[in-house]
Amino acid sequence: MVLIFGGAYQGKSDFALRTFGLEEKDLFFCTVDNTPDWGAKALCNAEQLFLQLTKNNVDVVRFLSDNIDKLEDKIITVNDVSQGVVPIDSTLRAWREATGRAMLFLASNSCQVYRVFCGIEERIK
Amino acid sequence: MNVFISGGCKNGKSFHAQKLAREMAAEQDLPLYYLATMIPVDDEDRARIKRHLSERDGWGFDTIEQGTDICACLSSRTLSGNAVSASGVFLLDSVTALLSNEMFPPDGSPDMEAPERLAKQLAAFARLTGNTVFVSDYIYSDAFIYDPLTEAYRRGLALLDRTLTGICSSVIEVSYGFTKEHKKRGVL
Repeated sequence: MVLIFGGAYQGKSDFALRTFGLEEKDLFFCTVDNTPDWGAKALCNAEQLFLQLTKNNVDVVRFLSDNIDKLEDKIITVNDVSQGVVPIDSTLRAWREATGRAMLFLASNSCQVYRVFCGIEERIK
Repeated sequence: MNVFISGGCKNGKSFHAQKLAREMAAEQDLPLYYLATMIPVDDEDRARIKRHLSERDGWGFDTIEQGTDICACLSSRTLSGNAVSASGVFLLDSVTALLSNEMFPPDGSPDMEAPERLAKQLAAFARLTGNTVFVSDYIYSDAFIYDPLTEAYRRGLALLDRTLTGICSSVIEVSYGFTKEHKKRGVL
């Protein structure tokens, strides 16, 4: 598993495309209401999946550990939402924390971890 | 050398950028310009500009005011009346304010073409001067769902940031006074 994180619009999926020999069709973009395509090589915007799970009161780390075998060969991009003001909305607040815990889980289970800053990647694991 | 600096709010970006621009000008014996991008709309803005001017007092900056159409400043004059030379060192603070000015004109109708246009203008400015320190703001890591216009602004600023990091020889992230160089001259 490879984790790629960074702020919004920093070029995370572009980095995945050019670094891991992927094509657009290999990318699956998570949204708050779609079901992850476990057949895709890369799951992008996983924070949207985490928001969906949070809204459905599903424990995100439990969900990830239950699906760890499906995640093993995946490239996962996550928009880091940890650095702003604590949201006033309780769902967004729970989402922000769930995303942080999910990223800890993904980072510890990944063989490579990258942070992308303004289009420039840095390997941190 | 063109330099791109970003980081969170009140992290010391401007101070670092000012030091760097001053060093660049001193090393090469070039004029040192401060490109002020804010277009004041009320007394609060005017007070802020006055404060910024006094904070830069003694740094040796010759201030140029240019809120839109950034390349036009190269054929204008500074506040003190000097003709601007493209071969000087420029501190452009900030890319964020420029995008606001271009995207949200006073007539109230958002210009959705502004990010693409400004990306080209900034690339041209970097090419024409070769010695500009660009300051932007890292506004991409909060847990909030914005309205479409604000989201378009964030996406637009990220386009400008990525355009500039592609062009600049040095890319620096400032975190509470600490700096991290993501791209170094001659390394990438």
